[in-house]
Amino acid sequence: MALLEQAYSFVNMRFLFEGLAVTLEVSVISIIFSFIFGLIFGVIRYIEVPYFSAVVGFIIDIIRNLPLLLIIFFTYFAIPELGIRMTPMSASIVALVVFESMMLAEVVRSGIQAVDSGQMEGARANGLTYFQAMRYIILPQALTKMIPPLVSQFISLIKDTSLATIIVLPELLYHAQIVYSQNTTYMLPMYVMIALMYFVVCYILSLAARYLERRLG
Amino acid sequence: MAMIEFKNVDKYYGKYHALTDINLQVQQGEVVVVIGPSGSGKSTLIRTINGLEEIESGQLIVNGMDLADKKADLNELRKNVGMVFQHFNLYANKTVIENIMLAPRLVLKRDEAENKKIALRLLDTVGLAEKADAYPKQLSGGQKQRVAIARSLAMKPKVLLFDEPTSALDPEMIDDVLNVMKSIAKQGDMTLVVVTHEMGFAREVADRVIFFDQGQVVEDDPAEEFFKQPKEERARQFLSKIITHK
Ligand SMILES: Nc1ncnc2c1ncn2[C@@H]1O[C@H](COP(=O)(O)OP(=O)(O)OP(=O)(O)O)[C@@H](O)[C@H]1O
Ligand SMILES: [Mg+2]
Repeated sequence: MALLEQAYSFVNMRFLFEGLAVTLEVSVISIIFSFIFGLIFGVIRYIEVPYFSAVVGFIIDIIRNLPLLLIIFFTYFAIPELGIRMTPMSASIVALVVFESMMLAEVVRSGIQAVDSGQMEGARANGLTYFQAMRYIILPQALTKMIPPLVSQFISLIKDTSLATIIVLPELLYHAQIVYSQNTTYMLPMYVMIALMYFVVCYILSLAARYLERRLG
Repeated sequence: MAMIEFKNVDKYYGKYHALTDINLQVQQGEVVVVIGPSGSGKSTLIRTINGLEEIESGQLIVNGMDLADKKADLNELRKNVGMVFQHFNLYANKTVIENIMLAPRLVLKRDEAENKKIALRLLDTVGLAEKADAYPKQLSGGQKQRVAIARSLAMKPKVLLFDEPTSALDPEMIDDVLNVMKSIAKQGDMTLVVVTHEMGFAREVADRVIFFDQGQVVEDDPAEEFFKQPKEERARQFLSKIITHK
């Protein structure tokens, strides 16, 4: 018991929460940007612009089939070679956005495809432009259908932020490692605590998604 | 000038010749019923009129616009040409009243108060005033189709196309929809092209009946003559088949 009290001391816990704050910050920023880009790329894939969509599809396929860790290394170590400075924070966000937006693009595309084709026809026959039909009829319905796969992708993203430990982003896992590197008997308590933290964050997100889905569905 | 004019129109789906040398005129205010076997191309024909299907050759002039011209402004065309589908195609994410008000708001920029007034009046004429705030999935098929008709009417189109509007409905719902269509037809100002096998409807309000088979106009008669006796054997057989089925 004394061990737990020491492991979970105020100072250590505060340090873990600081790590959690970084994890959440990187997650929220990355989710917002990867959602925006995922939406754009997903729509481009869906509407099949000649050549352009094929090129976009090829890029999506490449990135989706690379390990995220490789992309993180690339942004942190290779891009600075081109003269662009990268902090661990910005490198992590860029890598996560690049990777996750490609994953989300596929979610978006299949979500749009799942909307009954009669909806677009009805809208066009009713006088709406293609853009208006997308904006007011197709995308809102597609997004409702997409909530479960979108959220599970967001949850992956939150968990994947822990990979950025390796480029010394001071996120949750990294902070836990610092704590137990000073006293290895803290290793197990630290792992349990951060597991709990990841779980609570991700679980709240999936509850929110279920609520949203029920309200919109 | 005719409201709708097909001149030597051909349409292909890949190699499949869906419409062959169509020549047809529909005058303003006319009610034309199109009948024919399944797969004969009735939907294809009617869908070319609002540009949902492109034509490969010939001329198709609707409300003064040539749709064979690749630069034809289909959005402009569709302000004047409405369509009612077999499967309704109501906006699933919008309430009934929003289904009706959306296009006038976005496309015609109709004033919001005016838009609402027109929408409510139309809902009342199709007998669904109390359903204004329902979602499509809460309606029966017949109710959906009446909302779809109201949605089309809200645009005040010159031409209204119907593609088998009652064939997805339970029998007891069909009359409600047909009655709405009949009253539109009897007002006489709108041009109607109706693909249907409801011969009661055709007898009562059609000016002309077109029998369509294998992508061609086989017979095009004033309604009275058609029901007395179609000239073509194929049309005669088809007519007797659909009448004995009722
Ligand atoms: N998008 C398409 N691509 C390829 N072929 C098509 C397409 N739409 C229709 N066809 C073919 O064109 C022919 C005519 O179809 P259409 O739907 O116009 O017939 P229809 O007379 O409306 O039939 P039904 O009474 O069953 O509705 C059919 O053989 C059909 O298989
Ligand atoms: Mg058809």
